[in-house]
Amino acid sequence: MSAELTCAELVELVTDYLEGTLPPDEVERFEIHLVYCSPCTTHLEQMRETIRTAGALREEDLDPALADDLLTAFRGWRGDA
Amino acid sequence: MKALKFLLPGAVGPFSGFRWEVGTWHDTSGDPTCGHGVHACEPGDLPFWLQDELWVVELRGDVARGRHKVVGAGGRILGRVEAWDDAARREFASACVARVRELAARRPDAAAHLGDLEQVGPQASAAAIASLAARAAEAVDGTKGYDAERAAQAAWLGERLGLEGLLAR
Repeated sequence: MSAELTCAELVELVTDYLEGTLPPDEVERFEIHLVYCSPCTTHLEQMRETIRTAGALREEDLDPALADDLLTAFRGWRGDA
Repeated sequence: MKALKFLLPGAVGPFSGFRWEVGTWHDTSGDPTCGHGVHACEPGDLPFWLQDELWVVELRGDVARGRHKVVGAGGRILGRVEAWDDAARREFASACVARVRELAARRPDAAAHLGDLEQVGPQASAAAIASLAARAAEAVDGTKGYDAERAAQAAWLGERLGLEGLLAR
């Protein structure tokens, strides 16, 4: 194992980092990577923003046609459409 | 205890976004042994956390040691290390570039990092170049090489910034 996280490893850990479930040693490796990697810092900010935005959405905010499109897309993705 | 802390311009925490005010204590309810609290570092940890501003901090309450940092239940910033300026950042980055070239000339295992140097470009942060140098050393000597390179970077910073005297005051 390399001393520093790779970008691919960081992407795998983003959710755990944001949820505060990473052990302290892994948080340290995660943040050390952020210090020198601006693309990963941007990725983390985008994830934070996505969670903030999606968290503020209510079901009734969605246009019904868009909701249908999304459901169709998800069913297709799962292979049961 | 006195320690050091890197902050973004304007004394802002790079991960918390917290804006520090000189002399004002900030206490947390977190458990430092779990990594929660005020994060700072000792001179040997500096190369891992490089940012634009370096500050002397005072930690109070329980203080836990992580692999590359110290965490206190509370802390305050005391004063900025003015020696960590544009010139120092440039000199440090140049020293790290020279190390990557030296390692690459000695061992082909490290040569790939020359390409990485080109990729990050001349505007790369000191932190990015320092990481590249440490990874080049890791390519040559494994974990031992990585740790030795980071230790050499810390020694460079300690001497250039006069940190020994600064923390003893």
